Order: sequence, then structure tokens, then C-alpha cells
Amino acid sequence: MTDAGHHASEPSPIERRVAALESLLVERGLITSDVVDAVVETYERDVGPLNGARVVARAWTDPAYRARLLADGTRAIGELGFGGAEGEHLVALENTPTVHNLVVCTLCSCYPWPVLGLPPVWYKSFAYRARAVREPRAVMAEFGTVVPDDVDVRVWDSSAEVRYMVLPLRPPGTDDLGEDALVPLVTRDHMIGVVR
Amino acid sequence: MSSGLIGSGPDGVLDGIPEGVPRHNGELVFAEPWEGRAFGLAAAYVDATGVGWAAFRAHLVAAIADLPTGTPYYEAWVEALERLVAAPA
Repeated sequence: MTDAGHHASEPSPIERRVAALESLLVERGLITSDVVDAVVETYERDVGPLNGARVVARAWTDPAYRARLLADGTRAIGELGFGGAEGEHLVALENTPTVHNLVVCTLCSCYPWPVLGLPPVWYKSFAYRARAVREPRAVMAEFGTVVPDDVDVRVWDSSAEVRYMVLPLRPPGTDDLGEDALVPLVTRDHMIGVVR
Repeated sequence: MSSGLIGSGPDGVLDGIPEGVPRHNGELVFAEPWEGRAFGLAAAYVDATGVGWAAFRAHLVAAIADLPTGTPYYEAWVEALERLVAAPA
């Protein structure tokens, strides 16, 4: 990644700003480019929604784990080896036949990195941040999600210290599936709540 | 399952991005190398200085509020890191 600035054309202004910032921090002895490389690689390759999908699949198949997850999300994901920055106060929100949860960060982009990785572009957009609270059903409809009128929609703003993930309903007809077979059924959008 | 797996956002974030670019569970993490660099710089800085993500986040919230609506997200991220680095300890 250290040669990411080698373009055939001139670097753009934002690329120059980032490169200047890196040079400054390296010169001050605060960081090394190797550490930055490692961070980027970790988030590109190892940390992502598959972690959260594993947590959900475990909760679907192990009632005791489900109870622990709902009681203390941070500790429960730690049981599966997940944790770190932005996961210190994780709360799992349980969808039920009568309740649907939707997660947003109205001020910036707070997001439970250890279980979902980095947020998608739309999660960080002004439109999503503004509209998820004001008209959650309309936002979900744009993802193809129609929540029946008799289901209560609850919107959770992550802008405090707490990070949220949604524990979706287990899909009907999956009673025979084990944890490993359930993992691929869980998507990032389920765990944000834009998909039910 | 495709609607969930392909990161189907209202703004079609994956439009125009060539196939074969690495994605994680359907999601492209960084659209351009400088975005990943900016993210990695902030993470390394926060970790090395012990300043804490809360301090960075405060600058990020302010930067997003200050910059014009529609400014690319990671530009706000760069702005926030510049402000954090410039702020008195």
C-alpha cells in the first residue's frame, strides 16, 4: 500500500493531503507506514460482517448464548474471539414478531466494527442519517423491506458510546440447519436493520 | 439473498466498480486507496497516542457538520484527523 500514491497522472488534492498527513505523523515518530498498512489490510480482509453473521447464527442455535448476547453484547462477541475498537459497549437488539429494530448514527458514522467491519457508503450518507429517524419505513422500503403495520419499528441512534447490532429473526424453514449453514443467510443489512 | 449481499444502497454504491475488485461479504470497503490510507492513519494515530476514538469522533462530527452536504465521507475523515493532530494535547 505504500506505493498507492504512484499514479500515471498527478495525485488529486485529497491524495496529496493524505500523503502529507502520513509524512507528518511519520516524521513526528507517532506512526509507521507499516502499521498503517497492517490496519488497512486487517479491515479489508479480516474484519467484516461475516463476524456478525457468526454471532447471529450462534444465537439462533444456542439459546444460552442468545441470552448472554442480549445481556452483554461485548462479552458475548468476545466468546467468539471478536472485539476491539468500537466494540466496547455493544448492545444486541432482538427482532421479534412484533418488534423491528433499525440502527443509525445521526451525527457521524458510529458502527460496531468488530462484528460488521466498516460501514457501507450509504450508512454514512446525509440522506440515511437524516431519514432513518424521520421516516424509517420509507428508508427500509428502498431496500425492499416492508414491515407490517402491526410491527413496532424502533430506531436506535449510535451516537452515544453504545454500538448496536440487530439480532434478526431466524428465517422460517431453517429449523434443520446448523450454525455453519445459517451463517451465509445473515447479511450486513439484516444486522443494521434495513432488511428484516 | 442477493439484495442483501450486494450492498444494495439507495445510491447504488457499487455501480461502475469493476468486477474482481475484492469485496468483503458483498461490500467494497474502500472505494479508493487514499480512503483506506486515511482510515489507517487515524487508527494508527489514535492507537499510538492513546487519544481515544471519542476524541477523533468529536472532530469527525464537527467536520461533517462544517463541510458542504455531499462532501465525500472520507474527506471529512481527513479533515477530522487534521484537526485532531493540530489540536493542543
